[in-house]
Amino acid sequence: MNTSLRKLATVGAVAALAVSTITACSNDDSSAAGGDKSLEVVYWNYGPAAETGNKATADAFMAANSGTTVTLTPVTGENWGTYYANVATLIASGKRPDLMVISGEGAQFVHANNLVRPINEYLEKDAGAKAITGDIAQGLIDGFTVKNDVVTLTYGWNNMVVYYNTDVFKKAGVEPPKADWTWADFQATAKKLTADTNKDGKTDRYGFTWASNEIFPGIMPWVANAGGNLTSDDVCAATADTPQVNKAVSFLRQLITDGVSPAPMPMSDVFTRFQNGQVAMFGAGRWPIGTFLPAGFKSFDIQLYPKGDTYKTVFGGAGYPILKSSKNPDLAWEYQKFTVSEEIEKQYVGTPEKPGDSIPSRRSLAQTISKVGVPPANSDLFYDSIDKFPTLVPYPAPAKYSAFESTVLRHLQLIFAGETSVAGGLKAMQGELSSIVTC
Amino acid sequence: MTERQAPPAPGRGASPQRPARKDGLAAFAFLSPSIVTFVIFVLAPAAGVLYLSFYDWNLLSDGTFVGLANFERLFTDERLLRVYGSTVYMALAILAVNVVLGLLLAVLLETRMPRWLRGVFRLSFLFPFVISAAAVALIWRFLLNKDLGLVNYLLGTLGVDRIDWLGSSVWAPISIIIVNSWKTIGFSILVYIAGLQAIPHQLKEAAIVDGANAWTRFWRVTFPLLSPTIFFLVVINTINSFQIFAEPRVLTQGGPGDASRTIVEYLYDRAFGDFDLGYASAIGITFMLVLIVLTAIQFRFSRRWTFYE
Repeated sequence: MNTSLRKLATVGAVAALAVSTITACSNDDSSAAGGDKSLEVVYWNYGPAAETGNKATADAFMAANSGTTVTLTPVTGENWGTYYANVATLIASGKRPDLMVISGEGAQFVHANNLVRPINEYLEKDAGAKAITGDIAQGLIDGFTVKNDVVTLTYGWNNMVVYYNTDVFKKAGVEPPKADWTWADFQATAKKLTADTNKDGKTDRYGFTWASNEIFPGIMPWVANAGGNLTSDDVCAATADTPQVNKAVSFLRQLITDGVSPAPMPMSDVFTRFQNGQVAMFGAGRWPIGTFLPAGFKSFDIQLYPKGDTYKTVFGGAGYPILKSSKNPDLAWEYQKFTVSEEIEKQYVGTPEKPGDSIPSRRSLAQTISKVGVPPANSDLFYDSIDKFPTLVPYPAPAKYSAFESTVLRHLQLIFAGETSVAGGLKAMQGELSSIVTC
Repeated sequence: MTERQAPPAPGRGASPQRPARKDGLAAFAFLSPSIVTFVIFVLAPAAGVLYLSFYDWNLLSDGTFVGLANFERLFTDERLLRVYGSTVYMALAILAVNVVLGLLLAVLLETRMPRWLRGVFRLSFLFPFVISAAAVALIWRFLLNKDLGLVNYLLGTLGVDRIDWLGSSVWAPISIIIVNSWKTIGFSILVYIAGLQAIPHQLKEAAIVDGANAWTRFWRVTFPLLSPTIFFLVVINTINSFQIFAEPRVLTQGGPGDASRTIVEYLYDRAFGDFDLGYASAIGITFMLVLIVLTAIQFRFSRRWTFYE
């Protein structure tokens, strides 16, 4: 497309001026002329924790590297998918960030769009890199490796665990779950916790619920433990209507039918219902503690998802890949490395008053969470779940992740509302996904 | 005896008439901020979208000229037809609520209430209008939750079974209609009240003297004189109700399936979910044409029922 005309078009279409595309950018390895030591970092501004965390990292980096300037660009988005879309708009408007925060779901996206500069060469020639990668679980490195290109180091990550309200368990006289519990145990536990507490003839406390607006803390742990996945191992084909996926979705549908789970709701609503005791269990990563602890809510603990035909930890990380548009790739690498330094990783551990909202990627730091007293009591489980248990690899994240996730969620809505059968819904889902999940 | 000068024409003063061209320039000068704003924020974006609709472009790589291919896709997109259907259903319902119920409430507020109560109602109807649509939708999402929401709890006390407000194909669009109408009806009421207050009292009094009852007075005096206001609200509400985005996005994410999805939300997903800017632009252009045609039809037929003094 003619560049000047595209500028005009983009002004109109996305309120941005499109200049030459990212792929046409210079790949000059040297730092910018004149000794420019500035970096621009784009991050997902999902809330106050993102702002303070990124500012602290940038400030610490500038303090440790005098003469450098780090400019932070917060980008909004209701989820990772919309954040990527907004970053793409930003890039199309002519911004040239050096680094951008991405999650595992975005690794394929940035790689497929030729946005990212792989760090393989830095990992080989940087003496300090080996010590860092040795302290990071292999799964977290594999999760950001696309076609042998390591996209980024992971600074933090989340796994899927079951949160349970300890007060509700006590009140109901139910024993806390053990790590080896099964789907049948889970179902029995959830049933015991479901109650009509005010005796008006209607359930007002449910055993379990899951997020309706994301698949990561929604269906994925169940699909993984049924031995399935939503894509093939090479993430080149959809596998949404396999018997394993069918089994997982049927199990969840049955929880609603049995009245043990309410209709699925968005994650932010789940947090509220969990804190006020209307929901006894739900699934998520470490991020809920960033909401619970500052609000003074500590009556919770975590456990692995129950075992189905198998057990696999579902996890996803985040990192700061270096973009091809970076004028200072070497400095950008230093910044990326700094995001996984001990100093910064300690922030992800946090304190009981100011907890981190993801699990530090460095094992040595993550294992201090329970020692510094950040709830929950069972927080060693966070890192153990990736070190000591099998993991779901790959996470189903095709390059068109946003379209993929919205398609999956759209069909699940119909299934969980009882408007289509599980088999019929998954078949329709598979039909649509076949043109979205490709290589 | 000296001849007396004729008095100046009313409203003109004694100054000589300024040339029409000067008046035109003055008018243009006053209008120029609006014109510039319109060009920058309406015309240029529309031109940009039209341009993009002929390209296959994902925001990040070089676009490819594809001619009319994006427009051809419109005819084979089954979901688009479904989404148009749900958009028309919700838009017409919202339009009806705003125009009919808005008029009814405005008349009640103007005629049947003590002054203090009128103030309370005006404020309560207008209050949702000034809150952001997303914030309104978030509050309603909590209230309308099937199993733990306040609305179903209150209905339950009346013996009504739990309604799946946000999760069923029947109720999700109705929820959008209720929430959007609740938010926007205040504006319609306010405009109606202004229209009602502009009707000369002498006409109503003359009708009373002639023995017309309240019903006859409404249909023979109030309605004809209010018809320009009604027409204005029909046009504005048609455009606004076809363009709702925040409510389905926050309340139902357009679901279940596409039951409560609107064209604007669908277009957004194609552009920033699939990174398919060209196709999204083609949807946008055709949707703009649909709204232009609808508005033109409304103007054409308005001559039959609007009355200007």
